[in-house]
Amino acid sequence: MAEAPGRKARATSTGAGRILVAVYGIFALSATARAAVQIAGKFSDAPLAYLLSALAGVVYILATVGLASTRPWARPLAWTAVLFELTGVLVVGTLTVLDAGDFPDDTVWSFYGRGYGFIPLVLPLVGLWWLHRTRAR
Amino acid sequence: MYDALALATLVATGALAVLGLVLTALNRPPGREFKIAVGVVVALLAVQAAIGAVRAFGVTLPEQSTFLIYLAVSVCVLPIATQFAYAEPTRWGGTVVAVGAVATLVAVLRLQGLWVPSG
Repeated sequence: MAEAPGRKARATSTGAGRILVAVYGIFALSATARAAVQIAGKFSDAPLAYLLSALAGVVYILATVGLASTRPWARPLAWTAVLFELTGVLVVGTLTVLDAGDFPDDTVWSFYGRGYGFIPLVLPLVGLWWLHRTRAR
Repeated sequence: MYDALALATLVATGALAVLGLVLTALNRPPGREFKIAVGVVVALLAVQAAIGAVRAFGVTLPEQSTFLIYLAVSVCVLPIATQFAYAEPTRWGGTVVAVGAVATLVAVLRLQGLWVPSG
């Protein structure tokens, strides 16, 4: 591929990028559904953890939309959402490892996403790499 | 849930995932045959979901609503992933379907874990 200077940004949702969009879409679905069940059924058990689940779900939805769309706002949205996601998994992961008592119930990001095969930890790194790779330069 | 049917769906989704990855490795966009394979797997999942839903209303499960949501997810993910994969016919389509197949496989495993009926 020609690396001509001044090249426009490539769409994030074509070629191999579609795999990323698919994985993000599945996490958006599962995190949101999980949060909905938690909040609807047993919110008082662990309000903080369940609100965090909902936040994670929203972040995955925004990241999916940002990566799937080619609109002008999509790329900044994707950068923001994926960076937030990386921060979230690192902060929540570290907090749960240090002191599980603050998180009485699991979220997607607990223990760096152990319950989800650590994909929540790897996914934002792949997302950032892909956004960097397809950027304008 | 019937163990034999669950096992069949696990094997089918696993095989579909491998097939999708093989297509990508062979540098081939998924074609008509692959779509038929997806259809067979989805039909199997739909049968399992129908039986699971009927049986879920006859017993008490600790997490009934979660179980029903996973049943719906187990049927819906593959058709959506397939639609998305075929919208842009490149070699990566097979992997997109494979991602959906693995997610479905995980959903079926969770269904098995949630099936602890009483009464």
